[in-house]
Amino acid sequence: MLGKLDWSAIPFGQPIPLIAGGVVLVGVLAVLMWVVVKGHLPYLWHEWITSVDHKRIGVMYILLASVMLLRGGSDAIMMRIQQAIAFQSQGYLPPEHYNQIFSAHGTIMIFFVAMPFVIGLMNLVVPLQLGVRDVAFPTLNSVGFWLTATGALLVNLSLVVGEFARTGWLAFPPLSELSYSPGVGVDYYAWSLQISGVGTLVAGINLVTTVLKLRTKGMNYLRMPMFCWTTLASNLLIVAAFPILTATLAMLLLDRYLGFHFFTNEAGGNVMMFMNLIWAWGHPEVYILVLPAFGIFSEVVSTFSGKALFGYRSMVLATMAICVISFMVWLHHFFTMGAGPDVNAIFGIASMIIAVPTGVKIYNWLFTMYGGRIRFATPMLWAVGFMVTFIIGGLTGVLVAVPPADFMLHNSMFLVAHFHNVIIGGVLFGAFAGFEYWFPKAFGFRLDERWGKLAFWFTFSGFYITFVPLYVAGMLGMTRRMQHYDVAEWRPWMIVAAIGMAVLSIGVICQIMQLVVSIRNREALRDRTGDPWDGRSLEWATSSPPPVFNFAFHPDVRGEDAYWDMKVHARKQALEHAVPEYHDIEMPRNSPTGFVCAFFATVMGFALIWHIWWMVILGAIGAFATFVVFAWRDHDEYVIPAAEVAAIDRVNLEERRSLVSMAGAV
Amino acid sequence: MSMTATAGHTHADPHQIGRVVEHTGPAPKRIVTAYGFWIFLISDIVMFSCFFAAYAVLVDQTAGGPKGSEIFDQRNVAIETVCLLLSSFTCGMASIAADEHNRFWFYLGMAVTCVLGLIFLAVEFREFADLVARGYGPSRSAFLTSFFSLVGCHGLHVSAGVLWLLTMMAQVFAKGFRADILRRMRCFALFWHALDIIWVGVFSVVYLLGSGA
Amino acid sequence: MSDRTDAPIEHDLAPGEEAQHTVGERILGYVVGLGLALLLTATSFFIAGTNLVWQPSIPVALIVLAIAQMGVHLVFFLHITTGADNTNNVLALAFGLLIVFLVVGGTVWIMAHLNQNMPPMDQFIRMHS
Repeated sequence: MLGKLDWSAIPFGQPIPLIAGGVVLVGVLAVLMWVVVKGHLPYLWHEWITSVDHKRIGVMYILLASVMLLRGGSDAIMMRIQQAIAFQSQGYLPPEHYNQIFSAHGTIMIFFVAMPFVIGLMNLVVPLQLGVRDVAFPTLNSVGFWLTATGALLVNLSLVVGEFARTGWLAFPPLSELSYSPGVGVDYYAWSLQISGVGTLVAGINLVTTVLKLRTKGMNYLRMPMFCWTTLASNLLIVAAFPILTATLAMLLLDRYLGFHFFTNEAGGNVMMFMNLIWAWGHPEVYILVLPAFGIFSEVVSTFSGKALFGYRSMVLATMAICVISFMVWLHHFFTMGAGPDVNAIFGIASMIIAVPTGVKIYNWLFTMYGGRIRFATPMLWAVGFMVTFIIGGLTGVLVAVPPADFMLHNSMFLVAHFHNVIIGGVLFGAFAGFEYWFPKAFGFRLDERWGKLAFWFTFSGFYITFVPLYVAGMLGMTRRMQHYDVAEWRPWMIVAAIGMAVLSIGVICQIMQLVVSIRNREALRDRTGDPWDGRSLEWATSSPPPVFNFAFHPDVRGEDAYWDMKVHARKQALEHAVPEYHDIEMPRNSPTGFVCAFFATVMGFALIWHIWWMVILGAIGAFATFVVFAWRDHDEYVIPAAEVAAIDRVNLEERRSLVSMAGAV
Repeated sequence: MSMTATAGHTHADPHQIGRVVEHTGPAPKRIVTAYGFWIFLISDIVMFSCFFAAYAVLVDQTAGGPKGSEIFDQRNVAIETVCLLLSSFTCGMASIAADEHNRFWFYLGMAVTCVLGLIFLAVEFREFADLVARGYGPSRSAFLTSFFSLVGCHGLHVSAGVLWLLTMMAQVFAKGFRADILRRMRCFALFWHALDIIWVGVFSVVYLLGSGA
Repeated sequence: MSDRTDAPIEHDLAPGEEAQHTVGERILGYVVGLGLALLLTATSFFIAGTNLVWQPSIPVALIVLAIAQMGVHLVFFLHITTGADNTNNVLALAFGLLIVFLVVGGTVWIMAHLNQNMPPMDQFIRMHS
């Protein structure tokens, strides 16, 4: 009846997951109770859960990423403590638990922190920058978000029901095959990634179509803000790379569930093919994450230097070059598997070549700053911190792209330091910069600068204190994923890294404090103009937060830096004194399709993990029925009458007029 | 997004010499929907390419089991191929009928497409069942694993297509040729034709190349 | 988002959409496509089973015929053309095909080298026994 599920799945014998799970459960229940008792449920349901508004969905993505960042961060803290004390001893984490923690840490940080964070920012900002009212497929957008949330839910469920994979974040066979991992850990891993992968693919298709097909009048390709370009590149990579992940995990699951022989040791299966396929996805994946971050930094650097982006066209070219070359380097993740000198050499050279367009970008940002009036607001701090950190990470990357060097450094702590150097220094700093930069747009008030700067400095210095020791430990020969070790000279470095982790945690606490303080002082921090940073692109041309329809009129774009252009020329457009003629606006209706779909996906995923076959069928039928019901709807849009549009828009115009005349006088 | 479809050019430069061609604004929904689906199809083809790659890598790993030439039946494959080619044609006829709002030819075209799809599935199912019965199931060898996965993945897509086809017919029956229904019909036609293209790859690479070796 | 099908010509064609044609012309397009596809398929099946052509050329011929037939399907069934209004659709397809080529070609190349240098376990045992 319940497949493999019974009481032994609950880890009564292991206090750490049990207590952690209990605390989370109590927390979730408390929040739910509060929501129900306070009567917020209808509001949440109508305004958020069923919302198809790209801004709301973007915010929910970022919220999911932030919560998961805390979960993944807790894993990191536990690992650093373990390695600091596990010198010639077992530490406090038994090996099978430690293995689950490093697997969960990687999986969560990549799939449920970095991915939702950048997808959330793209969702929130890109339609605004393009001057349109929504993404191409609003309901599908909601489906994509909720499927991502389903994946996150299943991963966290493994904490208390069953176990997570002990195989590392990419679940290499043969360890992940049934004969060596008979438990449900790998199944939790694979199914949650399959489900959230569908969500990511949907988001990718949506954003590619949005950028290519939904742009306002005059928004030619070479007038799009840089963030739109990087969004296009990143989502093209999603569309091209995620199917590879889906196929590869499907093969692994077929091996595990139906006795196929893709990656087994027996019957001609080939383990090395898994490494090959998974990295054919895995390398583009890092560019999927970092390209949007590059876009964010381009916007931030240009805004806070008060200058147009230097070398815009070279930046576009570099972005698209990275988009293509990122598909030609995947073998550098397994140089040591023994493909031989010619194959290794070609992939090594390709890996070094990809550093060239990245270098072009760095110089462009530096030249944008050169001669500008730089304001060191919090987003700009993150941007400058990124440039310093990312150059170090990039250079160690070029180092390991040299096959002979890689043979020395492969699988060592040096590698761990390298990829944290680029992912934290690139993606996470970018996500934080974007968060600080666009928060006023999303919520209508700025974030507290003092706490923001504290958060930056703690995170920045914490990062170096944590990861420079890991570089050193790697050079001293320490391999990754060690539950304990006997080499005395590694120990001091592990202790320093643990201290760095504490500093990093203070940074996170500062970030939470910043949010709390800012919400409390929101009236003082209110942004009435819609343009708190003196911005250059169209998202600043509407109010903060924007009305549900974003723009009363589709803006008419005449060049790069569309909004800057309007301000300087005080364009006789939406901003002039002549009362514009408003029209009715049609917007997509909210729909519970995404939520209901994700509910059935959760049921189906859970049932598949535990081999509860009747429940699998039930979930599949439910998901199909949801689609049919959605397809049968007769009214998918509602009309906002012209009078209402006018009322909303006038308030915005009044607030903005002073600002425009000021800029126009320059 | 129905925005200001202001007609007519105000510029006195009909050949657009010496100026940038201005983007005209958001595309109509008809184009947006089909383009999004086009992107999905491309991602689907990339997914198939992984199964093709796995097949190419594992094709010689028979582990003492049968080789392709020992189990493939050319006649079956020919029947399957003809079914799919004809169904692509009838699907095209159904799309034309839908554009012309002609119910009779639409239903007829879709029904024939459905029958041809089902014949294809039946032949494929019989082939699979026969192989499993002879002890040549997917667990027998890595070659059979990759064969069953590649061909089965295409078969699953055809099954999903048949399900979609029936839903599509029901929708036209209940709602008529509404704009959104026509958009979906266009996507369905793209899907069905794309499956045909994949099948060209499957019968050439798996069945014909395999039976020669 | 209303559905303005009367949009002026400045927009691209949707994928799968034909330029303005009469019903007769459209049907003719499908008939020609079907004819060509059947012809190419028949040639493939014939070549695969015959002894009349030089045997080593067969795989190449089959692949060429398959690619030709895919082209026929793209042109006559999916209406992909080289027109300016189709540029976006063709570019997306070209990107996809590049990825397919990289994934399949790269995998075959890499795995051939890996299998040679690091044979899978059962082959390894066979070689040394």
